[in-house]
Amino acid sequence: MAVFFATYGSLIVAMMLAAMLALSLYLPLLAGQLSLASPGFYALGGYVAAIISTRVVPFDSATQAYVWRLGAHEILRFPGPLYPVSLLIVEMLVASVLSAVLAVALGLPALRLRGIYLLLATIAFVEILQVVTQVLDLTGGAIGIFNIPQPFASQLGYAWVVVPLLVLSAFFVYRLERIRVGRAFTAIREDELAAAAMGINLTYHKVLAFTMGAVLAGIVGVISAHSINTWNSRQGTFDAGIAYLAFVLIGGSRTFLGPIVGGIVLYALPEVLRGIAAIPGLPPALAQLLKDGRLIIYGLLLVLGTIFFPQGLIRPNLFRRRKFEATRQVPGQV
Amino acid sequence: MTTHAAEQALQGRPMRSVALEAEQLTRRFGGLVAVNRVSFDVGEGEIFGLIGPNGAGKTTLFNMMTGLQRPSSGSVRYRGAEISTLRPDEIARRGLARTFQNIRLFGNLSALENVMIARHVHTRSGVIGGILALPLARREEQHTHERACELLDLIGLLGRAHQEARTFPYGDQRRLEIARALALEPTLLLLDEPAAGMNTNEKQELSIFIRGIRDRFKLTVLLIEHHVPLVMGLCDRIAVLNFGQLIALGAPEQVRQDPAVIDAYLGAE
Repeated sequence: MAVFFATYGSLIVAMMLAAMLALSLYLPLLAGQLSLASPGFYALGGYVAAIISTRVVPFDSATQAYVWRLGAHEILRFPGPLYPVSLLIVEMLVASVLSAVLAVALGLPALRLRGIYLLLATIAFVEILQVVTQVLDLTGGAIGIFNIPQPFASQLGYAWVVVPLLVLSAFFVYRLERIRVGRAFTAIREDELAAAAMGINLTYHKVLAFTMGAVLAGIVGVISAHSINTWNSRQGTFDAGIAYLAFVLIGGSRTFLGPIVGGIVLYALPEVLRGIAAIPGLPPALAQLLKDGRLIIYGLLLVLGTIFFPQGLIRPNLFRRRKFEATRQVPGQV
Repeated sequence: MTTHAAEQALQGRPMRSVALEAEQLTRRFGGLVAVNRVSFDVGEGEIFGLIGPNGAGKTTLFNMMTGLQRPSSGSVRYRGAEISTLRPDEIARRGLARTFQNIRLFGNLSALENVMIARHVHTRSGVIGGILALPLARREEQHTHERACELLDLIGLLGRAHQEARTFPYGDQRRLEIARALALEPTLLLLDEPAAGMNTNEKQELSIFIRGIRDRFKLTVLLIEHHVPLVMGLCDRIAVLNFGQLIALGAPEQVRQDPAVIDAYLGAE
């Protein structure tokens, strides 16, 4: 068991982070806004963590990082000092505030665009951010920032932060779908014009949904930067956005459970496929595809998924039947 | 406004308070003038009909009154305040609610959710209060639910409150849209062809229903309708539009005998 967790600790943590990234894309989608800005805010959060922990806070991460590079498989505990978790939380707060400010500044003009144009604007945002971080000294230029210190002794230790965060964000979206603000979001998704005629301020709610997603992506970026140990402009790119989109569309875009299940399952998929590829006797070409064709397989799943499961694997109807029976009596009681 | 009231007094008609005023309202689409300098006013508590052949500009007029389209010129005042420059949601907050000619329900949501959404302007709990189910938010949610159920009961759809809106028969969808508009607690209700696609019986019932909600909720009603008998029987006053122009305005009897109206509907000669 210990060996299992030592080997798969980082995968388990990354699966949960993927679920949260999928949620960050799901939030604007709840208000009908298809945005691929999440990777940008994820990158931003990562840089916040990298800059604070390596440049702002005097923390000697050199020894720690050296040991880290010996390989996670052999080393379960770090001999060096651990980066304080309280500072990790401070980083998350800073990343949240910055993401929110940037999201409002970007959202106010961008959310005037509809459909494919909003999508293009958010892709442009991700690209611009990538280029900017490649140039700035603050972000380590093209090389990026190394030796980001570890707050936990093992990769699995991140679960102490990631599990509560995932539970919290899942609860947040679960509740959101059932309250006034969430209803306004779904109204906009269903019919913008009718929603406006019913007194819902479109701009306010679109920007709000967009900002919520941005904050969540920023927080995930902070954790990822520590967990990966290094951060550069190749983190949070356009392909990552497509992967998150696949998580949401295949998992299901009509209930908060869809993106969570989609993120967890699809993130683990390449590892499972790698396991299958190792089975002896497979044709080499197939084994190669299973091992390296992550994006090809995501793309294929996106196409097949939209044809055969247009609402995704997890649909609200799966639960509605029972809910319907349960609430049938309500009108009489009220 | 004051001169207007004075005019009425001079004409010896009883004083009535004006709810909605359109003044020289014009909307151009490129070279086409969809609505051309239309002026009329609707009194408080009145049921006011807007009729005219297809393409006469009735829906455009509605859209300008509810903020979906800006007038090219002219003004719309509601209870004395200019509303034609406001956003649709701001106009909804001022007590104007509408239905749409081609029903625009939130199709994938339940009937109950449709009506609950329209309680938006009468609630104010935010994200944090809602997520943590703080007392204010909880009270508001419960009240929203109760009010929505009352309105569904009024239109007889309470038993199917959890059914998706798009699965309802046409007539039920029309009434659900009215219930959703009523959830805004409007003072002026704008109905865009509420009887479209209904049979004679249903039209009769709808007529009674509209009178009923006008009295019960103390509404002013402005409605677009094609079906002349329905309009004649239901409305206190009627305005007739043809090619964007107001060609007649007055009590149903008066309008029915107006030669310009007969021309527009039956053709000249």
